[in-house]
Amino acid sequence: MRFLPCLYAFLGCISFCFIFQVRKPLFIFLCSAIGAVSWGVYLLAEPLGSDAVRCFVATIVVSALAELLARLLKAPATIFLVIGIIPLVPGGGLYYTMDYLLDKNFPMFSQVGLQTASTAAAIAVGASMVTSIVRMLTWRRHPQA
Amino acid sequence: MKTENTEQFLNFCCETGRQLIQNGAEIYRVEESIDRLMAAYGYTDTEVFAIPSSVILNILDGGHNYTKAIRIRSSFINLDKLERLNSLCRQVCRETPPPDQALAQLRAVAAVPGYPQWSSYLAHGFVAVFFTLFWGGVPLDAFFAFACGVAVKAASSSLSRMNTNIFFTYVCASMAMVLPPLVLVHLGVPVHMDKIVIGAIMLLVPGIAITNVIRDVLAGDFLTALTKFAEVLIISMALALGIAIPVGMARLFLGVI
Repeated sequence: MRFLPCLYAFLGCISFCFIFQVRKPLFIFLCSAIGAVSWGVYLLAEPLGSDAVRCFVATIVVSALAELLARLLKAPATIFLVIGIIPLVPGGGLYYTMDYLLDKNFPMFSQVGLQTASTAAAIAVGASMVTSIVRMLTWRRHPQA
Repeated sequence: MKTENTEQFLNFCCETGRQLIQNGAEIYRVEESIDRLMAAYGYTDTEVFAIPSSVILNILDGGHNYTKAIRIRSSFINLDKLERLNSLCRQVCRETPPPDQALAQLRAVAAVPGYPQWSSYLAHGFVAVFFTLFWGGVPLDAFFAFACGVAVKAASSSLSRMNTNIFFTYVCASMAMVLPPLVLVHLGVPVHMDKIVIGAIMLLVPGIAITNVIRDVLAGDFLTALTKFAEVLIISMALALGIAIPVGMARLFLGVI
């Protein structure tokens, strides 16, 4: 039961593949599987504490998988990253932030708002860290590329 | 290389850049792809500059400067075309066909049809359904979330056909998204409004743009990062406003949640 959301994430990511026009069945499966993995890692990272840290760890795993698949299948890593990261995007945070604002509950508004912003930042930093490291390594292999 | 060939090659590179940007490639990928293309055709003295709305190219060949600038207006993420463009670039770099042939191949890739419109409506609906369940909604919530997803798609595609700006499009799309659950709650149907809206909001949050901003910063594309960041802020504000208007009015006049 604990990992049921992973299944929903998988199915949701399949639907997103149709919106973002992923056409190859293999790619659809892999993108969505990465989406499910991202939430699985997020759930497993519970002992690490805050939402932002858990998202950060999950993003690093997802980006590494995306870069790996990109190398294996000779496709841009973005394809896998764009879909795989979706379950981590703090949509709920955005909604509750606004909800507290409408309620004039300013302490909760600032708390949830900051949490949402830091989660978004964690995702961005995690993704770019992996990309930077991969680019650094591949740059060395093809110096003039 | 001959002069007219250089001209044609310049056109090919610009079109490649346009297609890449319009289908949602990162800016560093655009610049890198064009750099590789130019290197593959043996041009050594070249410059390329890309931002989300423009590409500028210069090739110095035989004492002449060949320069072209293009303006890019709309972009929509199409991962299938992105992948095809990427493999086309690899192939052209490897085989270096004559520029007019390469251009014909590029046109063929650009003309590849996408999924039909109705499947996009269905996909929007199902994204809302599954993410409502994902965020802890009950099956009844998920059932009604389908309507929200379809409403988002209907609002955004009809508005983009009218050439509305991005802020207004997102305000209207999120208003259309909030209306079905508001009506249901008012009618007394036991749904969780928050779960439905969060499920459907996944369709609109600029998650990809957020990750791209920092990627651009680290790649050194500060100008691109700034424009994208402005987009993220504007979309987030539009979403918040689009939800706040109907919910606020409902609370004021009807007293529902």
